[in-house]
Amino acid sequence: MNKKIPFILIMPIVLLGVLFMYGVINGIVQGFGYIPAFNLRHITLDYYIEILNSDTFLDSLKISLQISVTSSIISVLLGTMLTAALVYTGHTEGKVIQVIKLAILIPHTIVALFSISMLSQNGLIARLFYQLGLINGQGDFPLLLYTKNNLGIILGYIWKEVPFVAYFSLALMSSINNTLGEASENLGASKLKTFFHITLPLSMPAIRKAFLIILTFSFGAYDLPFLLGATVPKALPVQSHIEYIHPDLRHRPYAMAINGLILIITWTIAGIYYLITKKKKIKGDIHERY
Amino acid sequence: MKVKRLPSILAIVMVLFFVTGCSVEKGITDSSKDNGFSTISQEFDPKADFDAIIEQAKRKTVRFYGWGGDENRNKWLNLTVAPALKEKYDITLEIVGMDIDNILAKLAGEKQANSKQGTIDMIWINGENFYSAKENELLFGPFAEQLPNFNKHIDGEDKEVKNDFGFPIEGYEVPYGKAQMVFINDSAITSETPRNTEEFMEYCKKYDGKVTYPALPDFTGSAFVRTLIYDIVGHEQFLNMEADKKVVKEAIEPALEYLRELNKYLWNQGKTFPATSGEVDNMFQDSELVMTMSYEPYAAAIGIEKDKYTHTTRTFLFDKGTVGNTNYIAIANNSSNKAAAMVAINEIISAEIQAAQFEELRTLPVVSYDKLRAEEKARFDNVDIGEGVISQDQLLNKRLPEMPANIIPIIEDIWLEEVVGK
Amino acid sequence: MKDINSNKLLKLFLYLVLFAILTPMIILLLLAFASRWPWPSLLPDTYSLRAIKEVLAPHTKVVSTLFSSIILSLSVAILSAIVGTMTARALVLYEFKGKGFIDFLGLAPNIVPGAIFAMGIHVVFIKISLADTVLGVIIVHLMYTLPYSINIMRDLTKSIGDQMEMQAYVLGASPLKAFMYITLPLLTPGIMASVSMAYITSFSQYFITLLIGGGKVKTISLLMVPFITKGDRNIGSAYALVFAISTLLVFIIIDKIIKKITISK
Repeated sequence: MNKKIPFILIMPIVLLGVLFMYGVINGIVQGFGYIPAFNLRHITLDYYIEILNSDTFLDSLKISLQISVTSSIISVLLGTMLTAALVYTGHTEGKVIQVIKLAILIPHTIVALFSISMLSQNGLIARLFYQLGLINGQGDFPLLLYTKNNLGIILGYIWKEVPFVAYFSLALMSSINNTLGEASENLGASKLKTFFHITLPLSMPAIRKAFLIILTFSFGAYDLPFLLGATVPKALPVQSHIEYIHPDLRHRPYAMAINGLILIITWTIAGIYYLITKKKKIKGDIHERY
Repeated sequence: MKVKRLPSILAIVMVLFFVTGCSVEKGITDSSKDNGFSTISQEFDPKADFDAIIEQAKRKTVRFYGWGGDENRNKWLNLTVAPALKEKYDITLEIVGMDIDNILAKLAGEKQANSKQGTIDMIWINGENFYSAKENELLFGPFAEQLPNFNKHIDGEDKEVKNDFGFPIEGYEVPYGKAQMVFINDSAITSETPRNTEEFMEYCKKYDGKVTYPALPDFTGSAFVRTLIYDIVGHEQFLNMEADKKVVKEAIEPALEYLRELNKYLWNQGKTFPATSGEVDNMFQDSELVMTMSYEPYAAAIGIEKDKYTHTTRTFLFDKGTVGNTNYIAIANNSSNKAAAMVAINEIISAEIQAAQFEELRTLPVVSYDKLRAEEKARFDNVDIGEGVISQDQLLNKRLPEMPANIIPIIEDIWLEEVVGK
Repeated sequence: MKDINSNKLLKLFLYLVLFAILTPMIILLLLAFASRWPWPSLLPDTYSLRAIKEVLAPHTKVVSTLFSSIILSLSVAILSAIVGTMTARALVLYEFKGKGFIDFLGLAPNIVPGAIFAMGIHVVFIKISLADTVLGVIIVHLMYTLPYSINIMRDLTKSIGDQMEMQAYVLGASPLKAFMYITLPLLTPGIMASVSMAYITSFSQYFITLLIGGGKVKTISLLMVPFITKGDRNIGSAYALVFAISTLLVFIIIDKIIKKITISK
């Protein structure tokens, strides 16, 4: 085979990748206080230090972790179940998939609108309860949104991430099922055994990736926590957003520094992911390379 | 085999997209080419004779950047202001919806990259955003006094024309519209209209859990809290106050105590507040809250017309007054269409357009009534302000000035630390 | 017996999920046409076409914006699928230095907060004259969609392998033909998924399109978001309907086209 082929194949991604990294570095530098446009030319760790020392940082960090870990674990479990459901009921294309894609398409801001319309004390579920005589007024309905347990935010993320996990791993699981899965069943293994011993393990690369993506995304995104979260404590990305829209432009480094901290945390999570996946060796997996 | 056609189809499709993308882009760059060369904007002299500026502005496209979430304003700009500019001066006005923080981020990025030809021409701006932008040299000026209509219609000595949130404007922005905090409730649901903070506390006690305000630093929530503060500790002391947290906290301490006491009777006992003013308004429409507030003094009338509020909705104020401010239009420092921007802004502060703004959007005009001709005055007088609102005179009588721009974030910080959930 | 029960359970679960997805859509539909919807009504008290009329009014230019948004996102989607397939093929079937770096690049955009990247790339793009251009927006959208495309294609490429392609080559087909006739049809589900995910990702971008496009590149997302976050919720919902329905239509059309192309299969 032509030795040059791989390099031709990876040229686009390398070009884009280099541009991307350059942009990221430029952005990180702003967190160190270097924004010449605002006459901030002094590179300093002060912004980072101030944030780490602030009273609210640990609370914000806890909230962000709680939201992302809870929603991601539930989403990946339900999402995998959904992938299996799609594969085994033969709905790998067609109208059902369009509905799944619809959920992935809807932006988070609209998901917030749904949550408020359905789950708030004034929402449809509360009104249903009232009509059924279960409660006497809006105040009687439990507070599901804007609370410290962030239930509304977690549900919102789950609503979007379950379809995402399913769609992301669908192609792979479907392909495995059609080849090795079918072969296994033809050899006499039960559907259940085939799924748990062949199909699921071999679909793991996609499922794991999906988990990493939704974990890091829900950790760093601000739309849902901003609209559905409690006023205090704020999730980290919300705090960053508030610094970003601060009218005094010299607050931008704070926003970038918080984002820098988010970046460090998400990279740590990604790093842990890579270490774990390197160690995992599934019996009989001929293709294990990453 | 039909699969044979796949690569050729793919190729055709790809070419199609690139062509479309490039032609869309060409369309954009073509229109920007019409706008002259960079040398013109660098040599632009705002002090030139205004007729010369009008000449320079002919056939140009000028972009007006501002918040895009008000459909009535978008409609008015597109259907009333744009045609007027096109007819009178052959200027094409393009409205772009972008939040002020993103506008400033874009300008800052362009400043850092030394870009002399930005796409932003006119900016809808006020308050500390203006102060920050001006300090960081993102704005062009001074130009206000070069506008004929500025000298004709606007009272140059008015505090709100010389200063924006306490800081000198120095001709870098021109008044666009006036806003004032008002309170709104439904007389069919709550007959009371609290006239001061004591009555307000009683009101909240009576309608336990059904009143709240947007979490600071939301613009409306912030103004609401400032109005309460003014009612309790007065407003003059803030006009020259040092921007120091301790000083400010001491000054507003009685108000902080009041707010903490108030929490008990607010929605969710003041443990959490809705994130945006839009949310508070939605809750009011849905009868989850019995009261809402707005920076647009005629919001009740517009709400009734949109069939979002009931016909018994009405507006009220505190006896001591509510905060009011002006919002402005500024020009970006690296705008490539400064001439067209000046002409457009001049037109927006004409009596005609201000009257149209008052008619269609019920935005308080910035032109000085005394400086108008009789027919112009009549047009303003005849505007039907709609149901459930207060007349302009009454509003302006109870209008309190804003605090200096750098005090406000301090108050917002203190609110987060000392009031929420306490 | 076990198999039938587990299938039934899965079917039930599937229907629950579909129900959970579609119910909020109905609420969106109602909100777009609703006027007053106070407590404790389960359905709006009064309906009106106000929101729809506002959104479809000629001055909003919603139709032309929608059209150019679709073209933009389709371009991104197709480019993303192509580059994703190429990169995945290189990563799976070849050994070369720097593989780890490419691996990392395939993940990086997902683990970098959007604001950092946006602020940083903005200045870079201004300097290379890509700011405020459609091409700039396409490139920056590509950076966000490629992780999905590369990963989807990689897993699929791996699972398909190159055995069959090798066989065809050995039997005399040129490498290109072997790829086009053997592997490509097998990769189609992945390519479709890549195109869909990339389209969705690009179509829903707001902040990065705003900053890099500079307000000159107009997408439907830019029109919609201000209303959803702080504006009239009826109008926001109406825009959301336009957003969702147009995407569904695009997907249905693409589906039909692909079916026609691969009809010989």
